[in-house]
Amino acid sequence: MVQYIVRRIIAIVLTLFAISLVAFAIIQLPPGDYLTTYIASLAATGEQVDPRVIENLRRQYALGEPFYVQYWQWITGILRGDFGHSFEWKRPVTELIWGRMGNSILLEGLAVIVMWLVALPIGTYAAVRKYSLGDYLATIGGFIGLAVPNFLFALILMYVAFTWFGTTLGGLYSPAFENARWSLPKVWDFLSHAWAPILVLSLAGTAELIRILRANLLDELKKPYVVTGRSKGLPEWKVILKYPVRLALNPLISTIGWLLPALVSGSVIVSVVMNLPTAGPMLLRSLTTQDMYLAGAIILLLSVLTVIGTLVSDILLALIDPRIRYGSK
Amino acid sequence: MRKERLLGLAGSVAISAVLAVAGPAWAQQQAPALEALVESGDLPPVEERLPAEPQVVEAESIGNYGGTWRMGMRGGGDNGMIVKTVAYEGLVRFDDQWQEVLPNLAVSWEASEDAREYTFTLREGVKWSDGKPFTTEDIAFAVEMYQDPDYPASSWIDNPNNMPSIEVIDELTFKLIFPNPNGMLMDQLASTDGLHIVSLQKDYCSQFHPSYNENAAADAEAAGFSSWALHLQDRCAWGWETIRYANPELPVLYPWVIETPYTANNSRVTWQRNPYYWKVDTEGNQLPYIDTLSMRVSESTEELTLLALNGEIDFQERHIATTVNKPLFFDGQEQGDYHLGEVVPSASNTLVLQLNLNHDDEAKRELFQNKDFRIGLSHALDRQEIIDVVFTGQGEPFQVAPRPESQFYDEELAKQYTEFDPELAVQHLEAAGLTETNSDGIRLMSDGRPVSITVDVISALRPEWIDMLEIMQLQLAAVGIEMELNSIDRTLFYDKRPGNDYDAQIWAGDGGLEVIQDPRYYFPAHAESVWAYKWQAWYTGTDTEIAEEPADWAKEQMELYTELRATSDAAQREELMRQILEITKEQFPVIGVSLMPNSYSIIKNNLRNAPETMFNAWLFPTPAPMNPVTWYFE
Repeated sequence: MVQYIVRRIIAIVLTLFAISLVAFAIIQLPPGDYLTTYIASLAATGEQVDPRVIENLRRQYALGEPFYVQYWQWITGILRGDFGHSFEWKRPVTELIWGRMGNSILLEGLAVIVMWLVALPIGTYAAVRKYSLGDYLATIGGFIGLAVPNFLFALILMYVAFTWFGTTLGGLYSPAFENARWSLPKVWDFLSHAWAPILVLSLAGTAELIRILRANLLDELKKPYVVTGRSKGLPEWKVILKYPVRLALNPLISTIGWLLPALVSGSVIVSVVMNLPTAGPMLLRSLTTQDMYLAGAIILLLSVLTVIGTLVSDILLALIDPRIRYGSK
Repeated sequence: MRKERLLGLAGSVAISAVLAVAGPAWAQQQAPALEALVESGDLPPVEERLPAEPQVVEAESIGNYGGTWRMGMRGGGDNGMIVKTVAYEGLVRFDDQWQEVLPNLAVSWEASEDAREYTFTLREGVKWSDGKPFTTEDIAFAVEMYQDPDYPASSWIDNPNNMPSIEVIDELTFKLIFPNPNGMLMDQLASTDGLHIVSLQKDYCSQFHPSYNENAAADAEAAGFSSWALHLQDRCAWGWETIRYANPELPVLYPWVIETPYTANNSRVTWQRNPYYWKVDTEGNQLPYIDTLSMRVSESTEELTLLALNGEIDFQERHIATTVNKPLFFDGQEQGDYHLGEVVPSASNTLVLQLNLNHDDEAKRELFQNKDFRIGLSHALDRQEIIDVVFTGQGEPFQVAPRPESQFYDEELAKQYTEFDPELAVQHLEAAGLTETNSDGIRLMSDGRPVSITVDVISALRPEWIDMLEIMQLQLAAVGIEMELNSIDRTLFYDKRPGNDYDAQIWAGDGGLEVIQDPRYYFPAHAESVWAYKWQAWYTGTDTEIAEEPADWAKEQMELYTELRATSDAAQREELMRQILEITKEQFPVIGVSLMPNSYSIIKNNLRNAPETMFNAWLFPTPAPMNPVTWYFE
């Protein structure tokens, strides 16, 4: 097991290196650079931009350098903990992203928990009571959840909240708590705002989980060991929960690593619509303004989360499923 | 120096004496919140904070103190919102009708006959928000910083073609001397450009510059910046740079000072009144009336729209006042307890079709430069249909011309070739040599290729552009002209220009009110004159490698404009501009569709002194010229 983890960690480092290279290259792909965007916005207001200034800025930001020089500066900086400077905000990237990433992880972590809490019982129920009214309801609900785009659901929710209850959903805190320190009232304020984005973010995932769980469990329920367990007099809940559900969870656990990045990228539009201070909108904006160090840092962090998540799910899988035994090879 | 000693020795008694002699006896009222601070000794009394002769701002009614002005801004780079509400405090300002230049931080100014030397006198006793006096030293320092080659800024102060030098006469008087005539300086100073020169306090900002602090480089490094210039920029960004509003320590001359800064992680920016603000109402009460500004930072215009509908925005036009939203806001007036004000945009036209008259393709250049071709296109457009379908009937057929509200309005220029007449269109197209058609009914150019115009558009900027272009596409196809839409991102849109890699680009009709200041469609004036990019490069001296000598008529216009810029006489400038517009009318370089319909503002019903009608432009940064410092809640 230890040997396996060490091997995986070496692979992770190499993967991250490759990802960073690709990420940096992709950010550089569109024509122009941050300065082009900047000049464009100045020019749009009728201002003349002095070529000397551009030259100075280009030098200051090392934008005139060839790709590999820029990449080298960037990646060596990161190894020292310096993610570079955001052009747009003119601040160190590290100062900008942690708060946003924190919000993302908090919000999306909560969404994942809600997703599992809702999906597990419903999925199990739907499988055990196949073709019952409950199963049909769960199926219909699941299909609607999958079919409705998240951002549309967010818009509908905002509209309903506005027309029926006269409140505007959006953001994560009331004005009074926005810049306050964490305290019990702030937690309550957060929860009274966060339920809406959590609901939106977990909707599609819940629907998907229900479907997967139901299908997997249906396969397991027919297997002889279930029949054996039942005939030996095990209580029904134990027959179902102890083995089939555990096995049915297998594919869910193996995709844990993809949850977080999928949520961040999948929630970009929702975050924009509901004005959530998460990493999604910041990533979107940094890409459109070609704020490459900021965009690079977010993409790289997402990649780190993905590979770490994959490692975690592999380890969990080995723990939960006795059939998988890496160490005994 | 002299003044500080006076303050120190004589104290407030002397000041009050001076006041009594110098001007009318001001009531010297101040906000209740500040009274407590004065009593506790944290703040000097109001008469010491105000200048001897504070600027008096007239308003419809005398207000009362207090309240919060709530508004919404976009995340990232929405410094425009701040400029338009808080930061518009230059040496001079525009009056609310955009007709005159009024004193502001400067009480008087004089221009030399040849418009090369300007002498300004500052208002005496104005203080920065930290209580330190504002003097010519600060102005000289700002000029020095802008002209520092290691500190990249970009403005009229370091314009290499006409870089002014400054001569400080005394604490309150200084001269700007330009190598070439600069007749439009006062207009420029009254616009947002005027903010540059009064944006830096020497006392605070000099500590980051190596000429004033030998440890500047080391300090910068300690603060995590690779050079002193980046550190200085971080702490004291010039003019209206976004980053300027991320430093609450920066002393300013604004009516409100930052409390919660505008950074990537704050979802609300707040401002508190500046206790040293140097303006009063007609009864001598210190302004502003409103205590706090609260700007919701949102990536989502939907959220801002909902906030406004829900009555959580007190005054706003920016971001939310779209044509599509108008019925929604109209219906929501009662529920949200607000009403709609009128906003007259500065843009003349909803869509300007700019054919590339400098096209690299011989045949296309020849065709696009043919006036008959452009007239033919113009007559082929059924503008009323576009207005009815896209703008629910708002607007009228219009060319790219000064708006009816402008003193330059010329009905002939505005209306020529706007009637929908396919037969006339065909006549003109045939006169332009497009007599043959191919099997698809598309007309053929002189070299036998079909006429196909690819139009670049940034649909994200104005979604209605795509709707308009799709209708135009059908209308033009009816007379045998093929038009293709190329929806691209803003960066690529600009990137294509120096490469001359486009048939046509579209934009809105800027310059409908600011005719002299932004004549981009009347002649190839600057880089936004996309229809003749190579000609403007020749004129402005930028991008010399692509510059091309303009046609004679455009050259004549350029000469007239150069003459216009060199005179400080407003009447003469107007006359010269009329001559330029005459040539524009004759040449018809770009094609417009319809008059930009009036926009609207959302005004909370209990907000007083706010304008029911106003112009709106970047150069006229409304609502700031309408004196938000005098607004108050009933």
